[in-house]
Amino acid sequence: MAQQNLASQYDQLKRAFDARPSDLKKCGSLLSQLKIRLIEAGLLLPQGQPNLQDLVVARDILEMGAIWSIRTRDIPSFERHFAQLSTFYTDYSSQLPPSSRASSILGLNLIRLLTQNRIADFHTTLEALPLPPAARASDPFISHPVNFERWLMEGSYSKVWNAREEAPAEEYRFFVDSLMGTIRNEIASCEEAAYDRLPLKDAATLLFFNTPSELLTFAKERGWQVDLSGGVIHFNGKNEEQAEVMPRHKLIAASLKYARELEMIV
Amino acid sequence: MPEVQKPTTTVDDATKKEQEPATAKPPPPPPTPVAEIKSNVALLERAVTTLEPRFTHRVLRSLNTLRKRLDDTVLRNAVTELYTKDTPIKKALLSWIPSGSSDMEVDTASSATPSKTPASEPTPEGEIYLRLLILFHLLASPSNYDKCRDLAHETVERMQTLNRRSMDPIAAKVWYAVERVYELRGELAQARPLFFAAQRTASLRHDEETEASLLNRLLRCYIEYSLYDQADKLVSKTTFPESASNAQCARYYYYLGRIKAVQLNYTAAHTDLQQAIRRAPPPKVAPGFYQAVHKLVIVVELLMGDIPQRSVFRHPVLEKALTGYFEIVKAVRAGSLSQFQTALSSYSSTFESDKTYSLVLRLRQNVIKTGIRHLSLSYSRISLRDICVKLNLDSEEDAEYIVGKAIRDGVIEGRIVHEKGWMECGGPKGGYGPEVAEVFSRRIGYCLDLHNESVKAMRYPLNAHRKELAAAEGAREREKELAKEIQEGDLDDDDMGGDF
Repeated sequence: MAQQNLASQYDQLKRAFDARPSDLKKCGSLLSQLKIRLIEAGLLLPQGQPNLQDLVVARDILEMGAIWSIRTRDIPSFERHFAQLSTFYTDYSSQLPPSSRASSILGLNLIRLLTQNRIADFHTTLEALPLPPAARASDPFISHPVNFERWLMEGSYSKVWNAREEAPAEEYRFFVDSLMGTIRNEIASCEEAAYDRLPLKDAATLLFFNTPSELLTFAKERGWQVDLSGGVIHFNGKNEEQAEVMPRHKLIAASLKYARELEMIV
Repeated sequence: MPEVQKPTTTVDDATKKEQEPATAKPPPPPPTPVAEIKSNVALLERAVTTLEPRFTHRVLRSLNTLRKRLDDTVLRNAVTELYTKDTPIKKALLSWIPSGSSDMEVDTASSATPSKTPASEPTPEGEIYLRLLILFHLLASPSNYDKCRDLAHETVERMQTLNRRSMDPIAAKVWYAVERVYELRGELAQARPLFFAAQRTASLRHDEETEASLLNRLLRCYIEYSLYDQADKLVSKTTFPESASNAQCARYYYYLGRIKAVQLNYTAAHTDLQQAIRRAPPPKVAPGFYQAVHKLVIVVELLMGDIPQRSVFRHPVLEKALTGYFEIVKAVRAGSLSQFQTALSSYSSTFESDKTYSLVLRLRQNVIKTGIRHLSLSYSRISLRDICVKLNLDSEEDAEYIVGKAIRDGVIEGRIVHEKGWMECGGPKGGYGPEVAEVFSRRIGYCLDLHNESVKAMRYPLNAHRKELAAAEGAREREKELAKEIQEGDLDDDDMGGDF
């Protein structure tokens, strides 16, 4: 009975999910029911040697759940789904047939870590991918976030900006948009350090703003001095004064430590 | 000699004894493997009776050299000579030694030492030691892996039922053998539950050597499958026993360094790897480990922005293994992206098999940074266009962002003048200031740590302080006498002085 229920709801979910545009609300309610069924069947966190066919169904449901969470812009839910999926991707990878959605979900997870600025987690996840490093470049779903990371680290922000349109799947857009916010802040902090002053027009292009008003609000947020008549932004050189201060506490602490250690030796 | 070629379980002691005197030859100067095994078992017994783990460690130290000289007959003879009576233990041991292939020449030569059979049965430690030897011997040929796994399981069970503290160091080695079996069969992941259960027991029973060994097994298990996240969690949830031997420590630090390098925590990774190098056995003894650690150290140093020393690449053990890395270092040093790309593509298979490929890929940004630093040192003003050409960047726009980032990250001192499209570079920093103090304090900290650790690592023989006490007592006595004499002498002097 429970199995049949599961199967029929699974079919419903599939139809609702594949429909264009998909019915998000219906998917959500179906998903939560299905997950309860999965728990009842002991498939949500499989242990031992369950039936392979069941595992494939469970994986499929969770994958749809992960993509659904992104469509509804619910990041914590995506994280949960991904955590549940990782059992299927790592522990059962040798037994299950490869899933077509796997690499897109793995890629989405990488992008998520990037937008949250969790670079260390990004790299650990990347290492754990079941792909050899050279193959990562050929998989569009994976290479997209990998390239993003590299460009961000080098500072080629314009490349990131230009690549934002080349998202391999619809769902990437959501993350890419929030990534742009992070990038703008990065660029702004670079500009503060690297420029004394900058013409308004150039600042807008550097920060990828289309209208001057957007730039002005952004400048206000960061506390920049905007000279509207001259059309120039002045950056305060506050960093230089800080550099001159001697780290007294540090030096004292270090000297005391040496004294103590020497005392112990002598 | 058909009797010996029969299945070994039925080898009769009596027939063996009869053969030996007939073919007895004077033993060759270096001890035969059989003799060595026997003396080792005796040492183990001494270790157990005197509660002195030192003897056990001595036995295990010879394990690697002994391992290369093992063969079926050596093992069989050792077992038959050590166990005089027909006990279930002997039968069990003999059943694991592959039969057949008995080369009589070797057989007689190695069993030549007239067997002065030990009066009693070897201790359980001795039994496990023999099992360990058989395990290593079976590991040498791929056809025995199945048998080896069964033996490994049986040995582990046996160790757990025996449950003796004095077994600790040997058990650590047995676990190593267990891991090798699984790894060679390519099913390391399946051994994880086994290791976890054993690790729990070991830590509850304070079998520190075993625990250290098992932690290393688990870490290797994870890192083999690149599960750095899990490995990191394992490290944070467990404490590595302090008294673990150097070999285990070296491995542990190596794994720690690996995990931290992946997590971009390069400074910590570098300290761990330095520890690993310092704790590791000499390069000639364990070249594989030495090379693996150095490969990682070089990449980590580069990622930290340092250039490894040239002498590392001239080291006889490392020279060949590090060629690919040397090319990368040259590229980073020159700050040339194109050179870096060619080195990367021509040695990519090496990096992939070393599992350093993704780390090396991360170096790309360092190459750019070094390039920019070179430019900033040699030019006081340079146009973005020229930067673009010199660093092989794709566009001027990129160059502007990259330079901006370099300035913010403190790689160079300078300003961008956007209207004119050039970069103005500030003069180089003076060699004085807080950052110098920081470098010094890092070095001093390192030296102090080294000193403290060597003090901790010193070994004092038991009861030695008594002797010293006695000596001190004597010295004090002498001092007193001396003082007395001096006093008397003084008096004499005074007397003499009086005379003058």
